[in-house]
Amino acid sequence: MDAIYHLMDHLPFAFTGDLFMKRALLAVLLVAPVCAAMGVMVVNFRMAFFSDAISHSAFTGVALGVLFGIDPLYTLVAFGIVVGLAIISVRRLSSLSVDTVIGVFFSFAVALGIVLISARKGLTRDLHSYLYGDVLTVGDGEIALMAALFVAVAVFLTFQFNHLFLIGINERLAKAQGAPVKALEYAYALLLALVVTVSIRVIGLLLVTAMLVVPAAAGRNLARSVRSMFWASVGVGLASGVIGLVASFYWDSATGATIILTASGFFLLSQVTGALRK
Amino acid sequence: MSEPLKKPAAIEIHDLHVELGRVPILTGVNARIRKGEITALIGPNGAGKTTLLLAILGMVPYRGRIEIPNGAGRPRIGYVPQHLEFDRGMPVTALDFLCLPRQRPPVWLRHSRRTREKALANLELVEAAHLSKRRLGILSGGELQRVLLAQALLDDPAIVLLDEPSSAVDRSGEELFMSLIKRLKKERNLTMLLVSHDLSMVTRLAGQVICLNRVVLSEGKAAEVLNEKTLSGCFGADKGLLLHDHPWGEDAEINCAYHPDQDHGDH
Repeated sequence: MDAIYHLMDHLPFAFTGDLFMKRALLAVLLVAPVCAAMGVMVVNFRMAFFSDAISHSAFTGVALGVLFGIDPLYTLVAFGIVVGLAIISVRRLSSLSVDTVIGVFFSFAVALGIVLISARKGLTRDLHSYLYGDVLTVGDGEIALMAALFVAVAVFLTFQFNHLFLIGINERLAKAQGAPVKALEYAYALLLALVVTVSIRVIGLLLVTAMLVVPAAAGRNLARSVRSMFWASVGVGLASGVIGLVASFYWDSATGATIILTASGFFLLSQVTGALRK
Repeated sequence: MSEPLKKPAAIEIHDLHVELGRVPILTGVNARIRKGEITALIGPNGAGKTTLLLAILGMVPYRGRIEIPNGAGRPRIGYVPQHLEFDRGMPVTALDFLCLPRQRPPVWLRHSRRTREKALANLELVEAAHLSKRRLGILSGGELQRVLLAQALLDDPAIVLLDEPSSAVDRSGEELFMSLIKRLKKERNLTMLLVSHDLSMVTRLAGQVICLNRVVLSEGKAAEVLNEKTLSGCFGADKGLLLHDHPWGEDAEINCAYHPDQDHGDH
């Protein structure tokens, strides 16, 4: 890590002078493109509510960590994965609509978290940095976790993107073409739960879904093909991340929210561009 | 049924049972799809026509036997689904759509040269080369149907299953689609199994007809099966059926209309 930080000293930006800003920039460069790339599928699969359920399960995840004396990062990731896989399993087994199933798990995870937090008053302190995100306190361990996730998502989307996108177009047709629909659905849910929970430290649980959805929605407005949607989304995600981080440094504002505000600006621009094209 | 079966079978179905959610959909179907012919599968709503196609594709669990003599390896079957329901705002071009399931590199990186060439050749084959860069969501019903046919032919299948190909297609689109089907069948000696409510399409395309309502009610040459008695038995009395004296089969040029309620919830 020291070698990377040393290299960053040569960047012509004053804000990378401090170690915490170097870490913050690295975290944003890793998390923003991952969220945007996964967001392409979130938008196509209409899974924004699923992502919201995972992020809000962090209430319980963090509370469990503090209660049992484990680093809350691990418990929130683990609990997020459990909630994600449970939603997919119940949806497959029951005749309830997907938003109903997600709604039930969303409510359960938030309610359990609030019960635990309200019963142990001290927990509120710990929750704050997860609610709004706190990229300036990200440590080397978390950077390593984000880098591992970056690689995992890149590998997954290299080998499974085509089938996943086809499932997004029409599940029956994808099945007829030999796509392993069920396995891919679980794998995607698992990876999405990981991305959401790991990104909470940067963006905050309240806004992490926006980091998935807003760049991908802007990319979709700008794109005329699958390839251009993917790259436009990643581009908007990265630009929003870096601009938002720098702006929050100078404005002394919450980084996650500033990033999402920037992404929303890009979305508005894309909407206008899309309308002018028609 | 009475005619001696000269052509070898492309698909043989023996005592096929399918239940979906404990509801019996097919209850002992026996049928023989002849090689190199167009066979029409007709029947009322909920008769199990789509389910039979899905069983042949291995997409629903079933009891019984479906034999597809193919020498070695898995038989290649092309499939044109009914009403492709998808998000029409999705920025996916016809070329993307054809390349997605067939190439190893992710489409976000590039279209592989071989798949792209094959996809473009297939689009040209179905008179849709000019649609390659157009988004799927803005295609007309007939254009979308031809793109779906192009994807069904990508693996050079010996068998093609078509589920209600004329639904959501206008008259001129339907004419073009039918002439394409005839030409492809002739040029490639394809076996085609066609689910249709449109008896005009059935009489003009199909050499063989299978009348299905959970079981096979009748099966044989189009001229034998498509008569008032058999159709009444299959669909029930007077459903707006109009039949004329005319030559049957693949070269028939007649108007024969059957207008049941549009089938959107078929099994």
